[in-house]
Amino acid sequence: MPATVTHEDGGVVFTFGWPLQLIVVRGRLNTQSHYFDRREFSFTLADDIYIRYLSFANQEELECEIRKRNPYKIDIGPVYSHRPSEHRNLPTFHPLEKELVFDIDMTDYDEVRSCCTGADICVKCWRLMAIACKILDTALREDFGFQHLLWVFSGRRGIHCWVCDEEARKLDVTARSAVAEYLQLLSGGLHQSKKVTLSGDKLHTSIKRAKDIIEQQFVSMCVEEQDILGSATSMQKFLSLIPDEPMRQELMKELQNYSTSKQRWEAVVRHITERRQKGQLKRRQQFILEEIMLQYAYPRLDINVTKGLNHLLKSPFCVHPKTGKICLPFHPRAAEKFDPSSVPTISKIIEEVSQYDAKTKDMAGQDAKHRMKDYKKTSMLKGIVVFEEFVHKLEETWKGKRLEASGMQVHTNGICILLSNRYENAVLSVAITGYGGVAV
Amino acid sequence: MEYSRRRKSVPSTQSVQTGSLVEMYPIDLQLYKVPPISSISLAEFEDLAQERLRILRAVDDINSRGLNKHSEECKGALTAELKRLGLKGFAKLINGTGCGNTESELRLRRRDHISHFILRLAYCRSEELRRWFIARELDLFRIRFSSLSAEAIQRFMQINNLKYEAVSEAEKSLLRECLFESSVIMPSVASVDAHVFYRVPYTDVQDLVRCRKVYLSGGSAYVPSTDLIAVLSTVFRTNLAHGMAIMARSLPALESDERIFQLLKNLHHSYVGEEYGSLKNSSAGSIQLDQLDLLSRHSFPPCMKKLSEHLRSNHHMRHGGRMQYGLFLKGIGLSLEDSLHYWKDGFSQKTDADKFEKQYSYNIRHNYGAVGKRANYAPYSCMKIIMSNVGPDEAHGCPFKHSDLSHLKQQLLAWNVPVAGINKVVEYVTQGHFQLACGKYFQITHGVQFEVAINHPNQYFVESQKVFNSKHDVKAAATGVPVGEILHTSDMEDVWGDDKDVESINVDIHQEVAI
Repeated sequence: MPATVTHEDGGVVFTFGWPLQLIVVRGRLNTQSHYFDRREFSFTLADDIYIRYLSFANQEELECEIRKRNPYKIDIGPVYSHRPSEHRNLPTFHPLEKELVFDIDMTDYDEVRSCCTGADICVKCWRLMAIACKILDTALREDFGFQHLLWVFSGRRGIHCWVCDEEARKLDVTARSAVAEYLQLLSGGLHQSKKVTLSGDKLHTSIKRAKDIIEQQFVSMCVEEQDILGSATSMQKFLSLIPDEPMRQELMKELQNYSTSKQRWEAVVRHITERRQKGQLKRRQQFILEEIMLQYAYPRLDINVTKGLNHLLKSPFCVHPKTGKICLPFHPRAAEKFDPSSVPTISKIIEEVSQYDAKTKDMAGQDAKHRMKDYKKTSMLKGIVVFEEFVHKLEETWKGKRLEASGMQVHTNGICILLSNRYENAVLSVAITGYGGVAV
Repeated sequence: MEYSRRRKSVPSTQSVQTGSLVEMYPIDLQLYKVPPISSISLAEFEDLAQERLRILRAVDDINSRGLNKHSEECKGALTAELKRLGLKGFAKLINGTGCGNTESELRLRRRDHISHFILRLAYCRSEELRRWFIARELDLFRIRFSSLSAEAIQRFMQINNLKYEAVSEAEKSLLRECLFESSVIMPSVASVDAHVFYRVPYTDVQDLVRCRKVYLSGGSAYVPSTDLIAVLSTVFRTNLAHGMAIMARSLPALESDERIFQLLKNLHHSYVGEEYGSLKNSSAGSIQLDQLDLLSRHSFPPCMKKLSEHLRSNHHMRHGGRMQYGLFLKGIGLSLEDSLHYWKDGFSQKTDADKFEKQYSYNIRHNYGAVGKRANYAPYSCMKIIMSNVGPDEAHGCPFKHSDLSHLKQQLLAWNVPVAGINKVVEYVTQGHFQLACGKYFQITHGVQFEVAINHPNQYFVESQKVFNSKHDVKAAATGVPVGEILHTSDMEDVWGDDKDVESINVDIHQEVAI
């Protein structure tokens, strides 16, 4: 049987084939270098019980623990100097390495989106995420030379990026914060409406590049879809970004002559460009147009997540506790086409597998080797392909390394891909086995 | 310094003795890579430790004055401060151009070397102490580097084996445009041609990267020769952080000597004494829950007053605010139980007790060191708050730094600050002197004549209480009522509270402004 459903304490235990084997190969390689077993995991159990500093000697142990505890959510932390589960009280216990991670949350976009608020997300706001992904992805690759970036939809309202290059994993806290702040343009909280201020009289190459990316889509994405100049309140918000009082007054008057967001935006562009050409812009306001565009569409990072070496981040392929959706990888180049509403929920996946099996019942007699892995029967296939590609590339670099320095430790990214959750009332755990579905 | 003056009289010929010092300390500045190997008396050990601590505190002090760290002004201020403290030798050292080798200079360098390592011992024992020490040492290094002559810089690079690859002319002309627009220091495209650029791993120039002051490509930063100090700072920092981490590990062995151990321990305590974290022990429970609202109106600094109001009106606060405000409350002496009660009450309209217990109470207990690591966290200082990162939707930070001017003015109006006073405050803000602005605000709202230098929200609170207590004293003297530690609410209402009084004080301020 490719997928096994058994009843246990009134719940369902569900098992099927998973790409974990790719990782486990690494886990095994590294039992020698004590890498996997020093990685911190945390489980969130029922009633928000949160267990930190878990670590596992190997994949079996991890699987076993997942089955036993049935976590709602699994987070991945850093690799420590000692095994977290046993030695966390040692004075010398400290984090050594972690992937460089980025977390972008849709709730931080509330002041610039009009389609949804809070945890809601639609195709329109996803465009803001997609552009954030594009800007960040380009900067990380071009400026910092990182190659192994895994982008993941968090299952509800955000995206995560795991940078798994060896150099990235080894960055210390100050280096992480330097990278994070380099990529962070927006600053200021509730009481500061203007959050992007570009100093100097020239634009840094990275800002220019981000601006170019945004500019291509700004009118359709922000001006039209988000309707940033559509209503009196949104115009008020927009105008508060212009620090120069007389200019703001002039613009305010001018905007009254137009009725749509697009016309108004064009008027603003016209007005400012004219002033710029006439040399009427103050030195500090040279880039006012750029600043406005960046404020509306530049990635809003939660940089504390990036800065911390011991910050935990939800594992890819988890099930989001609130939505039931899978935390699914996507390709950054296809970010714009990715539709968060099409991400399957755990119950949908189960349905898909059983539907597939029902259809192909006749072929069930085949021997185990030729069986299809369960995940390939589901709508999360794409995400898994992205992931496999990512892992494959990463593995290539280790192979090179190993040949280069045989006998040296093989470093792994150690991202363990797990899926385990309770969803609605059914006790459901999707655990991982290396080859095809093996009954629990 | 007695020490160097005495030596100065000795002619600066190189004896056999100083020969070794010349080898060890060829220039003024060092990366402190190798620990000193020599015997010194316990008295000298203690003396050196104290001296270094005073130097670093002087650096800290200068920093809090808000001077530009890279300016000559800052160096001048530090020199003056060191002279004032009687550390003339070191004042000379920070202004040294680097290559001299008179005996007095060599002795100073040795002193610098040994004292640095002694403080490493004292400061490697916790993350917080390490961070403080590294930051101060780094400031000192930067200041001293700026004094070095070109020749000394060359020597310094050579001695420390710092080899950076210069970008070829061909590559430079290819990247001309990018190098110009991304290197803040380049005034024109033409100046790119005039400078040598070094290709450096971006991790070696973290400060330039952080501020987007340098061109980055494929993990390399292209650093103009004028920004070299940034590279060296990172080398210095990395080296120091690494050294301290190693030292921390071997600390148990070092602590076996009771005499040294005691000294180092005390040093640590004399540092913590300045932090408001320790206030907790003496004053825990000295503030009652029902006093909070009144205190927040009169004695809270604006950054906390704002958060207090935010909590009352929004019934929620994000993590950054909870940390900033929560630790402050701890610092002024609110007990853990009261704190839990206060927050729960503040959140109650949006968060039921059960959810609060699960999501937020841990955080509060943690701040009090009651769970988890059980560390006694110190309330945030002004510097920390000013430098903190405030994301969209977050209410914490320094109101003078993190508010639009228009918003700030409105806020001050709402807090009954007279217009003339607001202008004074805003003037400081526009010059970037946020702490001075806060001091001005204090002066105005408390109706005092003297300038108050604010560098910690809890200090603001203490100062404010002092003002009220002294007013109370006057009153108490008249009526014969004994003076309490913290004012009783009714008294405070009398001294300051109602609108009539505020009016009369406003008049005073106007007069003062007019003068």
